[in-house]
Amino acid sequence: MKVCDLSAAVASIPSGSHVALSGFAITRCTMAFAREVIRQGLRGLTLSQCVGAMDGDLLVGAGVADHLIYGGGSLDRFGRLACINRRIEDGSLKVEEYSSLSMVFRYQAAAMGLPFIPIRSLRGSDILERLAETAPADHAEIIDPFTGEDCLVLRPLAPDVAVVQVQIADAEGNAWIYGPRWDNGEQVRAAKRAIVITERLVPSEIIRQQPEQTVIPGFRVSHVVQLPFSAHPASVYRAYDYDADEIRRYAEAAKTPAGLRAYLEEYVYGVRDHWEYLAHIGGAQRLNRLTADPVLGY
Amino acid sequence: MTDSVEYTLSELMAVAGARELKDGQIVAVGLGLPVVAAFLAKRTHAPHMTILFELGVVDPEPVAPGVGLADPRVWHRATMLSTFADMLGTVLHRGLVDVGFLGGLEIDAYGNVNTTLLGDPKGAFRHFVGSGGANDIASLARETIIIIRHEARKLKEVISYITSPGYLSGEKSWRDAGLAGGPRRVITDKAIFGFDPESKRMRLESIHPGITLDDVLANLGFRPIVPSDLPTTEPPTAEQVRLIRQEIDPQGMYM
Repeated sequence: MKVCDLSAAVASIPSGSHVALSGFAITRCTMAFAREVIRQGLRGLTLSQCVGAMDGDLLVGAGVADHLIYGGGSLDRFGRLACINRRIEDGSLKVEEYSSLSMVFRYQAAAMGLPFIPIRSLRGSDILERLAETAPADHAEIIDPFTGEDCLVLRPLAPDVAVVQVQIADAEGNAWIYGPRWDNGEQVRAAKRAIVITERLVPSEIIRQQPEQTVIPGFRVSHVVQLPFSAHPASVYRAYDYDADEIRRYAEAAKTPAGLRAYLEEYVYGVRDHWEYLAHIGGAQRLNRLTADPVLGY
Repeated sequence: MTDSVEYTLSELMAVAGARELKDGQIVAVGLGLPVVAAFLAKRTHAPHMTILFELGVVDPEPVAPGVGLADPRVWHRATMLSTFADMLGTVLHRGLVDVGFLGGLEIDAYGNVNTTLLGDPKGAFRHFVGSGGANDIASLARETIIIIRHEARKLKEVISYITSPGYLSGEKSWRDAGLAGGPRRVITDKAIFGFDPESKRMRLESIHPGITLDDVLANLGFRPIVPSDLPTTEPPTAEQVRLIRQEIDPQGMYM
């Protein structure tokens, strides 16, 4: 049985694992997951995502992760990824910084079982210059056997587990993602397994009526967790909008270690689980205000 | 033909950016002023232009401004919603993006752009956004246009970090590194720059109305090529200003 509660899904991840996260800045972030990981006290995680997001920032800020492989990122207009930036600046985070395309190509190579993947960006940049020091074993210059030209190649990136926030899934983990999917399909296929966190759990019959909508096949999924508003305060397209007040609160708190500690005390350690979290941020009344307009999707 | 109209320098920058885009082009856009420029072009002279956002959004028609690419408001009424691999892989890496439209923290005289950090990368620095798709777009689009505020701390001889390559150290250095394409225009709130075809150093193309050459040079950290004949940037039309204020960015989010 793949369907379980969030704490059981998190408990399946050993400390030290490489976890790919589905968030992009402030949308479809694995926030309830991140809060539970922190409560369970996991340590030494490696995180990866094409574009850094609020889920990664919280995990890095809480000291749960100390290795990040990403393509840069922000909280959009709400600010920088303050925890990630602070730990890059003080040297306590091992960071390998790529671009969006080079990250997705690395996932894609792992997804297809390729030995390496050629790429025509990164060249001439300080991104590549820095990677030569931070991750020298993950790229190489080879000669293209067909043209004889220099060719930059990247090593596949295969996470231990991809954690993906979706709108709809069945009990087997067959999942639909509404809206753009950024790197999520490649993350799931690159990873050894996936954990699906879904707003709605539907009968397989719903999936089987429109299987062309399925972007995550159940046979790659080990755990399915149904949890509403589990990306809060980030948005989930066609389900709910981002919570601007709560993101602003986080962005402000994350600016200092003391601010972040207070945030964690209140929003993570101060609540027993996601249900208490939802009650704490204002319960049904607040969530109702965030619920997406069915025409606009936000 | 067009009456003179009051406008802000941000509006002028967006209009100048829009003017660089041609009908039928495929344009990869980052958020902020470039989005306003692209939507303005689309609603005026370039109705068949295709706008791409890196995360997998094709040709959206937002009815409300968003806080960034992660805001579903800017995905509204897209013709396709897909993936990074699709946008940055099968379109950009495949060589089909005509114009990449970028912003930045710093830019140097060869059009190299920094969005990563300020300071010494091996010493003390302050870290910002990083690349996202910017490096990929700068490396792979047929040409790039950069919009940046005209301040000496932003337009510098040496920048802290090359996130997105322009012409590297000029002349043939960028080709030797395996790059093609490159920046075509840099639009600031004082002037528009191009690049010398040989040296690849930044060259003044026009100065905005009411701005002097001294204003331009005094707020620059490097010496650009200054041609003897220097035109004034064409000001926005009343219709362009109306579109920006009433339809594209009614809340003044980017202006």
